Amino acid sequence: MLIERKALETFLPALAGLGQPELCEHAAALGFPVDGQEAVDGTVVLDIDVTANRGDVMSHQGFARDLGAKLGAALAPFALPAIEEGPARVEVLLEAEACPLYATALLTLGAGATPEPARTFLTHMGAPAKGLPAVDASNELLHLYGHPTHAFDADKLRGAIRIRYARAGEKLVTLDGVERTLSPEDLLIADEAGPIALAGVMGGDPTKVTETTRRVLLESAYFDPRTVRLMARRHNLHSDASHRFGRGADPRMPRVARDLLVARLQAWAGATLEGAWAAGSEPAPAAPIAVANDLLERIAGEPIPPGEASEALRALGCGVEASAAALLVTPPSWRHDLAIPEDIVEEVLRLRGYARIASTLPPLDAPPRTALTAYGFRSRLATRLAHAGFHQTVTYGFVSPESEAGFALNAEGRTLANPLGREYSVLRGALLPSLREVAGANQRRGAKEIRLFEIATVFEASPDGPVESMRLAFVWGGVRGGEDFLTPARPIQPADLAGVAKDLGFPPEAIEVRALEGGLYGVEAPLEVLAWPSERCIPAFAPFSRHPVVERDLSLLVPMDLAYRSLREAVVKALPGTGVLRRADCVDVFRHKSLPEGRQAWLLRFAFQADRTLTGEEVDGWMEAALAAARSLGAALRT
Amino acid sequence: MDASDLKLLPPDIAEAAATFEAQLDACGTLDALMRLKGTFTGREHSLAARLMEALKAAPKEQKRELGALANQLKNAWEEGIKGRQEALEAVKRDHAAAASRVDPDLPPPMPLRGALHPLQRLQDRLVGIFAALGFHIEEGPEIETEAHNFDGLNIPGDHPARGSSDTFYLEQHPDLLLRTHTSPVQVRVLRRLAPELEARGGIRFVAPGRVYRKDDIDPTHSPMFHQVEGMLVGKGIGMQHLKGTLEYAMRALFGPATAIRLRPSYFPFVEPGAELDVSCPLCGGKGCRVCKGSGWVELLGAGLIHPNVLHYAGIDPEVWSGFAFGLGVERTAMMVSQTPDLRLFFENDQRFIRQMGGLD
Ligand SMILES: [Zn+2]
Repeated sequence: MLIERKALETFLPALAGLGQPELCEHAAALGFPVDGQEAVDGTVVLDIDVTANRGDVMSHQGFARDLGAKLGAALAPFALPAIEEGPARVEVLLEAEACPLYATALLTLGAGATPEPARTFLTHMGAPAKGLPAVDASNELLHLYGHPTHAFDADKLRGAIRIRYARAGEKLVTLDGVERTLSPEDLLIADEAGPIALAGVMGGDPTKVTETTRRVLLESAYFDPRTVRLMARRHNLHSDASHRFGRGADPRMPRVARDLLVARLQAWAGATLEGAWAAGSEPAPAAPIAVANDLLERIAGEPIPPGEASEALRALGCGVEASAAALLVTPPSWRHDLAIPEDIVEEVLRLRGYARIASTLPPLDAPPRTALTAYGFRSRLATRLAHAGFHQTVTYGFVSPESEAGFALNAEGRTLANPLGREYSVLRGALLPSLREVAGANQRRGAKEIRLFEIATVFEASPDGPVESMRLAFVWGGVRGGEDFLTPARPIQPADLAGVAKDLGFPPEAIEVRALEGGLYGVEAPLEVLAWPSERCIPAFAPFSRHPVVERDLSLLVPMDLAYRSLREAVVKALPGTGVLRRADCVDVFRHKSLPEGRQAWLLRFAFQADRTLTGEEVDGWMEAALAAARSLGAALRT
Repeated sequence: MDASDLKLLPPDIAEAAATFEAQLDACGTLDALMRLKGTFTGREHSLAARLMEALKAAPKEQKRELGALANQLKNAWEEGIKGRQEALEAVKRDHAAAASRVDPDLPPPMPLRGALHPLQRLQDRLVGIFAALGFHIEEGPEIETEAHNFDGLNIPGDHPARGSSDTFYLEQHPDLLLRTHTSPVQVRVLRRLAPELEARGGIRFVAPGRVYRKDDIDPTHSPMFHQVEGMLVGKGIGMQHLKGTLEYAMRALFGPATAIRLRPSYFPFVEPGAELDVSCPLCGGKGCRVCKGSGWVELLGAGLIHPNVLHYAGIDPEVWSGFAFGLGVERTAMMVSQTPDLRLFFENDQRFIRQMGGLD
């Protein structure tokens, strides 16, 4: 919100001696940090940040009130023009509780224009004068006092003014030129011909004040904050008025603002007051709030003398009655945000300054929990993959339905109602499509080798809504090696990924390497496939066999179409169990034109160990059995 | 031996003997030396063999003198050749050694090296800092109900954050949304632990995670980002405990000289509410571009838990009180690293991850 320092000083003369940095410090300490400041026309315009609960600070008067309380300085005396209310010149009928008070006046305009100081002020507020005194005066009042008012062209109104809810389908063209279709929750100002304004949000175009306007009917009312907020949201129409009424205007202000507006039009435009009147009455003031001294002490962290608290609250406009154990606090009419005792305590601390709050660590309530959490498990896994050469990625949780083709099902159940675009419309059912995209981007930027992983949530459609689970995915592609004098370059192969998966502890049946495009391969699996590390930090000791390991190789010529898995299974079946067979692996594959056509050579390596020393004869016997098993599948001994 | 002695020899042997030293010097390789050896001292047809033959055939009176001369020559030749052979072998050994030696300054093969994402590292760091204060980790789902994301946090029914222009909703499940903050974890944890609160003596946890808001992607906005939420419930908890905890955490994060300040602010789920500034980690408070000359940077929102939040979770606010805070991981990462564009964190360029991330 913009504040002109010169105007602010008219409300709080004590500011005159205060330096600009000190003013900013005070503002921030009160909860209104200064986002920017600009020196213009011999004064400074500040942009202050006002939180959503403080509609009352959205004016020079409101900001000056808080600053005055902080500085212990009084606001300048308020000179209210003496205007007598008389009989209604136009009947005003309040037909909705959301408008308890509607003050108005009828004036005939004379000659005159918006004076130069007001024009300059409005320019500083980012809302240059329109050259229509009735409009400019209303705007000036809004920025100075925070109470929104409106002027209608009285000659365009027909009959009584009603404040009522809209009938479904009624239409109104608002001042911004947009035709709005109204709903029964919209609170209206209407005349006999229909709607003339969206209450507290924006006036209607047909009844607006123009250069030809001769008579004006003023509106200065109080509207229910929630009703205004909902209207502004429903019509996506956020105006200066809706911001202030929506956060809660001061219910004592309607008559005051009307009188100020009348006085301005008399002074600026030679207006003649035809009559001033009001319908309804102020809403009942809020009930007093009892604030126990204990609560004040608990929140502040130290006892605060009741006198100090009372003084701070009175400075902020509260009524305070002190008893032995509590303060009974009546918030001022403009403070809609003060509802519970904690709100009142915050006011006391705010005026004292949060800087005075002590700094203490809370007492430990229970022994810390040290068990490994799912988060910790994922962190460890990520660290392990990073050490294995992979780069951790963070990609969006939503993707385009097209990118998931072949990776996940039932995108409909995972679709957002209001996505940023089709590209981001489906909560992803798999991680590999995201990694594939990141890999592509890296390749386009010249990366020769791609090593990426992500550990993140995926979603699966269900009748009750998407079910979430954590997955790990990694991709590897391009060329590895060739970057030093010892390691030759070679393309990444699926086996490279299978090795990583195996090393991470994937069970063999969970390892599925998918070929993605561009020499890229990927593995994706639910985190549950990985075993949770044991609670004990060092497992129970199991003795090693002290007998020697016997290692034997078997070189086989095998048909090209023989699957390694079936060969290994058959061979292992022919050998003694895991108590003795410690290893049975293929350690080399050889393909060459020197081999018989349709054959390749596999070198199998076996290791045997038992609780006794094995004899050469028994190992020879096993190797014979292994060879026989291999032969039964069409393999032959390579000599 | 002088030249007159050589006159006793056959002329070709005398000539060879005279040039032996020169021929020996000319042998650059062991092969050439072996040929020379054959010529001078070989078992057959060599000069030494012929010298022996000449000695046998010599007249008796010359035998003694010639015999001494022949021995002298033979010894000289053998020793010359042996010495030369040792020298040449030493050279050969040196060459072999040089050939097998690797220049230690050649770039060695390196183990593969990846990196954790910088957001993960910062998040882990924060979680670790609070773990030291006894805050355990809680997590919640990314898809939430309005009840957990808004109602339980005292966010009014007409709050703009609930609108479809701010929050992502699911098409087939209009009651479900993508959480807009990690605060719904507060609601879940408080409700879950409420029955055992007295037995536990209190609650303290941090909740890291992904959150979603309907913002267009630009240098300072992202529809998905990370937060770390923290909460503590106990008896007699006040603003001083919030301040003490955050002061400890910020000093652990930015260094022991870090100063903090709390300013009044407003969040519906806390009362009193506060904004936390830390002394600028880049200039130490002297004023720079990052802190816009103020010496302070705004880091997180916090406050004492609103009684309505405790009440909603079934906890009596007359007995229990506590504080909560929430910090944006991306915003903090950008501030400390001065990364100019938020999108870099989601582009996942391997170079960026290696540079900004790391392994621990
Ligand atoms: Zn700085």
